[in-house]
Amino acid sequence: MEERKLTEKESLEVITSMIARTKQRYVGDGRIMLLWGYLVGIVSILVWIMLAATGQSIWNLLWFAIPVIGGIATPIMARKHQIRSGIMTFSDKVTSRLWTIAGGSEFVTILVCICIQYFTGSSCWSAMLAYTLVAMPMAEIAQGLLIKEKSLTLGGAIGLSIGIVTVCCVAGRIPLGANWYMPLFILAFVAMMIVPGHILNNKASREK
Amino acid sequence: MKELNPLLHSQLRLAIMSILMNVEEADFVYLKEKTESTAGNLSVQLDKLSNAGYIHIQKGFVGKKTRTVCRMTETGRAAFEEYVDTLKKYLNL
Repeated sequence: MEERKLTEKESLEVITSMIARTKQRYVGDGRIMLLWGYLVGIVSILVWIMLAATGQSIWNLLWFAIPVIGGIATPIMARKHQIRSGIMTFSDKVTSRLWTIAGGSEFVTILVCICIQYFTGSSCWSAMLAYTLVAMPMAEIAQGLLIKEKSLTLGGAIGLSIGIVTVCCVAGRIPLGANWYMPLFILAFVAMMIVPGHILNNKASREK
Repeated sequence: MKELNPLLHSQLRLAIMSILMNVEEADFVYLKEKTESTAGNLSVQLDKLSNAGYIHIQKGFVGKKTRTVCRMTETGRAAFEEYVDTLKKYLNL
């Protein structure tokens, strides 16, 4: 393309042609979802096995690996994705902010749980599980609706359903027993992160 | 009839502005690929648009390579919308 004067009709053609070239359905990057999905899944299984084998609650400290590893890797992966694609669309921007808000509120919840445990001696980590399975699915459903991706909306709905069960159990003081709750928690992340992550990656590779 | 904005009434500059109206930001490599222009020409036209305050250019580094990211400004958006309105009148649309 050169720098030259145009007729009015040619101007219109340039505008429509550029809009067509940049009009690509946003499918996003499934890699970050897969990171969180597999990270939560592996850590959950590890904690479950270690608690069952030793009976020592110290193994619960392994949960902290999730925000540490995920929190460090996510911004790096997001930046690489943006550089690879060369553009940032409106959907990219909204999605990024949605997950930043959801992730930030998770971080605040962790701090509140630590403070309550430190100052009162009471453990409220079950509330953390409940909050995670409400905040994350809500962000995912919003993202799914924004980019019209059913796997995200459906995965988010499954996660939210498990989140509502968790909230009710916590409010009703029903113990979240590892034998029934851990598989449910892992299932939520498989539905929310792992399945949609693979579907997004598959769609992205087909579009190339 | 009102004259079409001469800064936008050029093939490459209009193409750049059309792309930037559609996305929040785009880097130099993406613009070069979509407009099928040469790096030198694209660079000159980006500078012209930037000097007019129509786009914001941010230069950064990715590793050892430079990365130039362009964004449309509010002035640029208004100029583009005005250009399209005038164009519609010319074409009786």
